[in-house]
Amino acid sequence: MALLRITGIQKRFGGLRAVDDAGMDVEEGELLGLIGPNGSGKTTLLNVLSGHLRPDAGQVLLDGRAVTGLNPTRLARLGIQRMFQMTRVFSRVSALDNLLVCGLAMGLDEARASERALQLLDELRLAASMHLDAGQLSGGQKKLLEFGACFMSPPRIALLDEPFAAVHPVMKEIMSAFIQRRNGEGQTFILVSHDMPVVVDLCPRAVCMNAGKVLADGPTQAVLNTPAVIEAYLGEDDSAEAGHG
Amino acid sequence: MDYPRHPNFLRDKLAEEVRLSIAVLAVLALLPLGISSPYWLGVLIVSMYFAMLSCGWNLLAGYAGQFSLAPAAFAMLGGYTTGLLAYHLDAPLWIGLPLAAVVPGAIGLVLGRIVLRLSGPYLALTTLSFAEIARLVIYNSIDFTRGDQGLNVPGIVDDRTLYYYLFLAALCATVLIVYGVLRSPTGRFLQAIRDDEIGAASRGVDVVRCKTVAFLVSCAICGFAGGLYSTFARLVSPELGIIAQTGLVIAMVVIGGMGTLVGPLVGAMLVYVASEMLRDVGNIQMIVFALLVIVFARFFRAGLWGLARGLLARRRAAASGGA
Repeated sequence: MALLRITGIQKRFGGLRAVDDAGMDVEEGELLGLIGPNGSGKTTLLNVLSGHLRPDAGQVLLDGRAVTGLNPTRLARLGIQRMFQMTRVFSRVSALDNLLVCGLAMGLDEARASERALQLLDELRLAASMHLDAGQLSGGQKKLLEFGACFMSPPRIALLDEPFAAVHPVMKEIMSAFIQRRNGEGQTFILVSHDMPVVVDLCPRAVCMNAGKVLADGPTQAVLNTPAVIEAYLGEDDSAEAGHG
Repeated sequence: MDYPRHPNFLRDKLAEEVRLSIAVLAVLALLPLGISSPYWLGVLIVSMYFAMLSCGWNLLAGYAGQFSLAPAAFAMLGGYTTGLLAYHLDAPLWIGLPLAAVVPGAIGLVLGRIVLRLSGPYLALTTLSFAEIARLVIYNSIDFTRGDQGLNVPGIVDDRTLYYYLFLAALCATVLIVYGVLRSPTGRFLQAIRDDEIGAASRGVDVVRCKTVAFLVSCAICGFAGGLYSTFARLVSPELGIIAQTGLVIAMVVIGGMGTLVGPLVGAMLVYVASEMLRDVGNIQMIVFALLVIVFARFFRAGLWGLARGLLARRRAAASGGA
């Protein structure tokens, strides 16, 4: 049984079909790349999976249990942790307290939450800044902090929306190594990224979306070589030119 | 790397503020030794009433980011709970005063649920509407509340110094309650909600429960303060809930330091004592406080406490640099 089964998800905004009958299975321990051009529906689909949007149709099953339309708090507690494209940290509390809040909210006791927060700060090389208010951290450090917050209590599945966007290469490397390590230990991920070399490097499997629909689903390199995917990224004329060139 | 076993920065900051709050309360405890004037004792008693309102409102607005415009209305509801019970049922104060916390707390709980999805100006306007509706209902229910004539409320003691210490005990209890909330996981969650509600919910924080707790505790504190004040004034009237009183509370918290434990205490004492000193110049006092709020909100957002902390930190840094 798939850890996460997504079937027939639809989400409209007025006349726009942001997600149109999207479906996929994510197996336990998988690291799935979710790719597609801007406006293809990736973030909307993540919003549905993390409970920030209620789908118009379709179903989401986590461990075989229907979780469609549950609120973000309940989904987080069921183990669906989300990292946002636009960083969301608690700016007026310290980096350490940002993590402690997440640990306590997930039911850890204070001692365990402190221990875990320190491990994560160390692993993400944020330990030197742990007493700074999160609002005082650099953009990249904020991303790392939010990234770490997803792992205060090991999630069933981590949904990462553009974790590498506008991040210093060193921090990107820290996150990539963290993802690989955790995935090696069995952690499941859905990774949304425009950074194709990283997706190819990290994700054995990819799903490409365009105009709300799933265009291709399979081994990452095969997906990237699919004509429909090339066309979606480059546009019809360009891909024709590329093909003829 | 070597870290303290349970590093807890928020607690450290809070511990520093607790120490300062204790110092402020200790100074208040000693003041009657040097002040014999019943007038100035009365001024300090009313300052402590405002300090309780400020602490209650600060929990909601400063720590949870829920900008309510109804603290004075809840104080009025607390005052009327005590007053109506005494007036209509001859209920003793040991029943009337606890209910001055319970009834506004319950109303705050319901209001908190209603305004759960509102924030910013919408929340402020809704709570302002509630405050005005509550005041007008009391004002116009003449048969039940005696309208603008107000209700006589029995006093607890006759001696002003004893009253002073009663208010001080209530203020200590208020600080203790706020400290207890802040020290609990709920206190951390409230600050997370203040900074990013969507982010907090995504991490598993029960936003509904936390906001409800903040409304309940804040309104209960304001209600109890109102009940106690009405026994001191021996009168409760709709004047207790006018928006200008809420404005004063906001000024006290902003000037003292919003989102801090000690700020509202210091702000309430300074602003109210200053307003008494400026009484002779008439309504100009409100203009002065309004200007101060603008200056603090624009240039010193952490208030007097933030300024003091900055100065202390600079002095420590200079001392360690010199050594």
